[in-house]
Amino acid sequence: MSGLSVGMLLFLVSVGMSLIFGVTRIVNLAHGAFYMVGAYLMVTLVEFLPDRPWAFWLALLLAPVGVAVLGGVIEVGLLRLIYRRDPLMQLILTFGLILVIGTLVLLVWGPDNKSVPRPEALAGSVKIFGQPFPSYYLLVLVLAPLVAVALWLLFYRTRWGMLVRAATVDREMLGALGVNVAALYTQVFVFGSWLAGFGGALAAPTVAVALGMDGDVLTTAFVVVVIGGLGSFAGSFIGALLVGLLQSFGILIFPAVSIVLLFALMAVVLIVRPWGLLGRPEA
Amino acid sequence: MGVVGAAGSLALSARSWVALVVVALAVAPLVLPSFFLQLLTEIAIIGLFATAFNLLMGFGGMVSFGHAAYFALGAYTAALLVKRAGVPLLAALAAAPLVAAAGALLFGFFIVRLSHTYFAMLSLAFAQIVFTVIFKWKALTGGDDGLLDVWPPSLLKSPAAYYYFTLIVVGLCILALHAIVDSPFGYALKAVRENPRRARYIGIDVRRHQLAAFVISGAFSGVAGSLFAFYNGSVFPDFAYFTKSFEPLVVALLGGVQSFFGPLAGAFGFKILEWLISRQWPVYWPLVLGGIVVVVIVVLPSGFVGLVGGRRWRRQPAVKA
Repeated sequence: MSGLSVGMLLFLVSVGMSLIFGVTRIVNLAHGAFYMVGAYLMVTLVEFLPDRPWAFWLALLLAPVGVAVLGGVIEVGLLRLIYRRDPLMQLILTFGLILVIGTLVLLVWGPDNKSVPRPEALAGSVKIFGQPFPSYYLLVLVLAPLVAVALWLLFYRTRWGMLVRAATVDREMLGALGVNVAALYTQVFVFGSWLAGFGGALAAPTVAVALGMDGDVLTTAFVVVVIGGLGSFAGSFIGALLVGLLQSFGILIFPAVSIVLLFALMAVVLIVRPWGLLGRPEA
Repeated sequence: MGVVGAAGSLALSARSWVALVVVALAVAPLVLPSFFLQLLTEIAIIGLFATAFNLLMGFGGMVSFGHAAYFALGAYTAALLVKRAGVPLLAALAAAPLVAAAGALLFGFFIVRLSHTYFAMLSLAFAQIVFTVIFKWKALTGGDDGLLDVWPPSLLKSPAAYYYFTLIVVGLCILALHAIVDSPFGYALKAVRENPRRARYIGIDVRRHQLAAFVISGAFSGVAGSLFAFYNGSVFPDFAYFTKSFEPLVVALLGGVQSFFGPLAGAFGFKILEWLISRQWPVYWPLVLGGIVVVVIVVLPSGFVGLVGGRRWRRQPAVKA
């Protein structure tokens, strides 16, 4: 069960990464950093908002918005300048951003670990199949699939979603048809950042909010996205579940090699189907 | 073919420069305090690492995100042989690139089948596996604690002696790498980078050339790793971590990936800068490093050597595999 909720959180982060890649063709290595910033903003917001039951929910709403703004600034200020260059340059640029954001977080929030208290209503645990299960995880198990459904509706039932899907197939054609692709890039990047921030904010009460959490989540989200297929929405979902379960069972069965399992799975997928389980081969 | 010509002419016109640098490095121990000799030793080691890496990136058009794996394989091989088997230093140093090359051959066999972003990712995945194995295999590698007390024999223990030793080994490796870049193999590799399909038409086995470059690059990264192991006196799993993989990338990028000597110049700038900044504000070093990466990519795409030489980064370079 906890494997499922870990998988759900992973899904939120990796679907944003996958979305950004699908449209802009940028593998955003700073995505883990966005997740971290979401968690830290959550810490600050919960601290500063008055101690009322609604404060937690308001923070959960606001923290991802802050991350989305950050994403927007980065897209417009930096990434937009280099879309036409070698994709590897973009990759390296987002790596540079990891370092910058990591240090800024250190300067703003200091080196100590932080924690976010769970809201009172969800502080306890419930029994499921006779096993105690933290009730906050139930919130994760409800909210993340809700987001997944909302995303599905957004992508497959709205005009904007149609444009996004079109952009993942053929951006030039979309531009030729009169769509403002540059604006779409920005929107997608902001939205993807929001998802990372939401993942971070939602995860904050379940983990120690610490420097370095960006690297952990980045590598795992990366594996998820590669396994599921870059740019594939359903792929991220399946990949996240697979990885979430593999991690929690892997730790039970082969504690020493659970991470090796993860990367071995990724290597096998890359060798057999380089574009991922549900991705599309490169044109 | 502008790049090929540029690399060749740089070597010629820069011959006097190279001589000057060699003389300066040779007399350095007479005038510099030992701290700076250590800094120079580190520069030489990371310069070799970045030059080996750049054989792939600059000349082969393949960007590896997992080169730390081969650096660590070299470092651990040398450290383990000396510490656990009592093998003499030179034999350990000779074994390091062999093991690193074996690793590069095993992983590279799969990695070179992919291209672009996927190439980078698979190399990263393999490097993470190497990292985890080193991290978890406590009985052999010491896990998180690393292997301590891996010092060279007393003859080489002083900073000046190890400095000369490193300089000679690195110098020989750089000469070898330069010869490789200038050989028919090197030209074939550049042809593969520029246009793999055309290269195939004229009878070049693209994958085999890429794999060979990968193995060579891995082997020299292993040499750098083993030199660093004895310089540092200890080895740690961090050597294989992905942040280490970005080091040669940043260094090569700083110096300019389109020239053979770019990464060496980059190593110089990188280390001096790291020293200047982390001496006073250690916290800010990653910020500055990240900032430099961002600025170099957005403003100075051909690195600082490119700035001096006035050559521009060509659109659609490298990465077409």
